[in-house]
Amino acid sequence: MFLAIGRTSKEAVQNFFRNGWLSIATVSIMILFLYVLSVFVVIGFSANNILRNVEDKVNITIYFKPEVDENAILDIKSNLEGFNEVKSVDYISKNQALDDFKANNSDDPIILQSLDEIGSNPLLASLVVKANNPNQYQLIADYVGKAYFSDEVSRVNYGKNKEVIDKLNSIIATIRRIGISLGLFFGLVSLLISFNAIRITIYTHRQEVEIMRLVGASNTYIRLPFIFEGVIYGIVSAFISMLILFISVKFVTPYISTTVPSANLASFYWGNFGWLLFGQVIFGSLLGVVGSLIAMRKYLQV
Amino acid sequence: MVKEIENENVEHGFAMIKFDGVSKVYKGNFPALESIDLEINNGEFISIVGQSGSGKSTMLKLIYAEEMPTAGEVYFDGKPLSRISKRKLPFHRRAIGTVFQDFKLLPRKTAFENVAYALEVAGAPNLEIEENVPQILDIVGLGDKMEKYPHQLSGGEQQKVAIARALVHTPMVIIADEPTGNLDPVSSLEIVQLLIRINELGTTVILASHDKDIVNKVNKRVLALDKGRIISDNAKGKYKIF
Ligand SMILES: Nc1ncnc2c1ncn2[C@@H]1O[C@H](COP(=O)(O)OP(=O)(O)O)[C@@H](O)[C@H]1O
Ligand SMILES: [Mg+2]
Repeated sequence: MFLAIGRTSKEAVQNFFRNGWLSIATVSIMILFLYVLSVFVVIGFSANNILRNVEDKVNITIYFKPEVDENAILDIKSNLEGFNEVKSVDYISKNQALDDFKANNSDDPIILQSLDEIGSNPLLASLVVKANNPNQYQLIADYVGKAYFSDEVSRVNYGKNKEVIDKLNSIIATIRRIGISLGLFFGLVSLLISFNAIRITIYTHRQEVEIMRLVGASNTYIRLPFIFEGVIYGIVSAFISMLILFISVKFVTPYISTTVPSANLASFYWGNFGWLLFGQVIFGSLLGVVGSLIAMRKYLQV
Repeated sequence: MVKEIENENVEHGFAMIKFDGVSKVYKGNFPALESIDLEINNGEFISIVGQSGSGKSTMLKLIYAEEMPTAGEVYFDGKPLSRISKRKLPFHRRAIGTVFQDFKLLPRKTAFENVAYALEVAGAPNLEIEENVPQILDIVGLGDKMEKYPHQLSGGEQQKVAIARALVHTPMVIIADEPTGNLDPVSSLEIVQLLIRINELGTTVILASHDKDIVNKVNKRVLALDKGRIISDNAKGKYKIF
């Protein structure tokens, strides 16, 4: 058995190189398949990252009337934290709000000066509520409007955020839908093309399969080199696809980063290099092996 | 050296191959073979002659179990071939060496590798391969062309590689289906002389041919087929013209 594996794997390597242009053609098509697949994976994950980033900036801020004291607000905070839909609640005291305001306007002396003239802190304490899911904000806003503490609330800024939230929701849905259907479509098309290329490769070797049978090779012995060849195809395609992916990421990143700073494709590529490569090697080898096994069935007369 | 291809462990005269009421009908065709009864003894050289389409190749395919008979039974070395399982088929094939009109060499392998392949599939040790393959290629006269690919060899040379491959695992029977069909007269003669020599060393040879000169050159048992039936079987036969 070891002898057979040794001999057939050596043969597979030989065949790969002696095949010449046919190897090149098959590998190119498999590269296409793996590349399309990984581009969609990269886009998918990056889009998710962008969305998560934007999602993170969405919140409901509840401003309390100036006379409400800190302890009461902290009670309300823990009340809100008890809900499943609520991811986090942050308390921002009057003083912190003032500090933040000053920091944000540090380059505008007129504003700072007018603050000084007022003498006291005109800002309100607030709770910043983040939901687990963007479509839960409506629910939370409704609750806040009717809650036992609604008398102590000065205003809720959900109205301003509502549009952003709704838009975000529909963008997420659309991107998911388009991404998944495009990915499936291109993935399927290039899968079929790759499978066909493998079939052609086997077809051109059908006479060899016949000869091997005549000389008394068992079906397993005939299959083994083709299986190993499929694995070689997979590995070579995966590495080249990774290289092309690297080049395209490097080329595209500067354009994307200027419009969407949170979408760093290059860092995603390097951060997930191992997984991307591993996934492609597995996908590619599987395609090569399963493709050739199916294509060979006809000529093995099993 | 000569001992390498000599089968000393089989007794002569034993019915190596037996056709018992064999008929073969391909789907949607008239019968390719009809009620054939035939015995081929160990060590014999038998030529099967007949026009194109008379059933020669079909008869040979039944022996190496590429086809199964529609009726009757073919026995090889006493065993009925219909009982051979798919898994055992490769072992049956290794008892037979086949030579064809179109050589059937693996195009991506050198002459050496083509011959070695027949030993590799049977799990022969590397040492045996490295020793036997050059020897057998020497016998067929290709000792100096071992590293050539089939497309770098002439037709006659390719057929010699095929014969070397058929011989290398010392089969009980060599089956040659129109081995000279694609060759010039000089190469044809060489191939036939090679087959005669192989037979003289003890291996049963079955030659299918419609080349009169070739069959007359052999001058051994001749079986004539016509439309799937045996029309004559002469121990010291000449090619019949019918
Ligand atoms: N695989 C096949 N399918 C259908 N008919 C076949 C097949 N092989 C041979 N035949 C038919 O069987 C008959 C005998 O063919 P064959 O044995 O090849 O004759 P020969 O070798 O003497 O030329 C012919 O009529 C041929 O057309
Ligand atoms: Mg024929």
